[in-house]
Amino acid sequence: MSAITENKAPGSVPILEIRGLRKAFDRVPVLRDISFTVNTGNVVTIIGPSGSGKSTLLRCASFLENANDGDILYDGQYAMKGGVYAPKKELNRFRTLFGMVFQNFNLFPHYSVLKNICEPPTLRGCDREEARERASELLKKMGLEGKENAYPCQLSGGQQQRVAIARALALNPEILYFDEPTSALDPELTGEVLKVIRQLAEDHMTMVVVTHEMSFAHAVSHQVIFMDGGYIMEEGSPEQIFENPQQERTKRFLSNYKK
Amino acid sequence: MSLLTMILKMSEGLGKTCAIFFLTLWFSLPLGMIVALLRMSKNKIISSVIRFFITVLRGTPLMLQLLAVTYGPYYLFHANVSRNKLIPVVIAFSINYAAYFAEIYRGGIESIPKGQYEAATVLGYSRFQTFMRIVLPQVIKRIMPSVTNEVVTLVKDTSMAFTVSYQEMFTIGKQIANSQTSFTPFIVAGVFYYLFNFIVDRVMGRIEKRLNYYS
Repeated sequence: MSAITENKAPGSVPILEIRGLRKAFDRVPVLRDISFTVNTGNVVTIIGPSGSGKSTLLRCASFLENANDGDILYDGQYAMKGGVYAPKKELNRFRTLFGMVFQNFNLFPHYSVLKNICEPPTLRGCDREEARERASELLKKMGLEGKENAYPCQLSGGQQQRVAIARALALNPEILYFDEPTSALDPELTGEVLKVIRQLAEDHMTMVVVTHEMSFAHAVSHQVIFMDGGYIMEEGSPEQIFENPQQERTKRFLSNYKK
Repeated sequence: MSLLTMILKMSEGLGKTCAIFFLTLWFSLPLGMIVALLRMSKNKIISSVIRFFITVLRGTPLMLQLLAVTYGPYYLFHANVSRNKLIPVVIAFSINYAAYFAEIYRGGIESIPKGQYEAATVLGYSRFQTFMRIVLPQVIKRIMPSVTNEVVTLVKDTSMAFTVSYQEMFTIGKQIANSQTSFTPFIVAGVFYYLFNFIVDRVMGRIEKRLNYYS
């Protein structure tokens, strides 16, 4: 029926593998030798100070930025090998595997909520009525029943972000990326968006979330990655990272969040 | 000559005034989009050449361009000046206005946030689909006030056709003014242009209102 419910049980099947990823902007290195794996059904959160390369990492994984070196594999197949991307047609096929939720929502302002969600699947050949039904179902799940005909400008930031999540889910992605999904929201609205992401995690949706919400990362993730200066400084279970960090840098970063 | 005769005589030129106006819009609005896209081309040579032509067309008088297009072929190739001056007039106007529209379009296209393109790419829109479905509709809304400005100017600029003696309303008025040594035809022309633009303003206002379904 839907990606949310039919997802495979959390396991050890890697959907995304990144090896030795490097990226520089004008010779300034932003990602240096990044390697990690995301298994199906898992939630991976990426934390770290601003400018540590978290967002760039997601943008490389979603082909919005071109990495300079390394491998990117989806479902065990190379999207990039040794810094060389697969042909455009292949990349378009890989693009159907992931969805992306942006910090600034990036909804299409001239489309109604329904059209925002329905047009992408329709363009990919999905039946119009089916897309419509699926959209309504997703909106219900997001707590946005009856907002089909509203325009983004008529919604709060939290509602807009939930529409953006529904839009990404409508394409049935295998893995969903969140790039600081609550950074543009006030605390109240942050809560309603995090609640939705938490719900997706309970449904075993595979997700990679770049976030500054530490208690959320602690509660929801299977795997936490701490980045600084373009490196993965530390990686492990939320218990390991939040309760017993090994690296000095991790401790220092997390001390700012201790209640 | 009575006022009524003047008005009637000048009205005979209104059809030609309208012809310049509508044909210019018909050609320059799409042509401007092509020019804008070439101007933003990643190919440096194409974009520089287009940029040069835009500066020439915006930096020299429309009157000169009208003379050049109408009489240029005669001086260059000794070709006959075409009897139907509507053709060179519309060509000159269309090229000139396309240059202005191109810059308006470019401003509009560049004002669309990068995030719109990124979202579209991730959602599987092709480059063409992104432009036609996501970018263009937003651009049209954003540029309407500037376009209205140009359209209003165009109404008045049609009078420039008198430089090549194309018998539109203003040219006829000017001839009457000369033969009758009277200023009245110019007042009549002013009223005609005002009424024309009154309608233009209403129509454009209505279009802008229809595009107001989102903000």
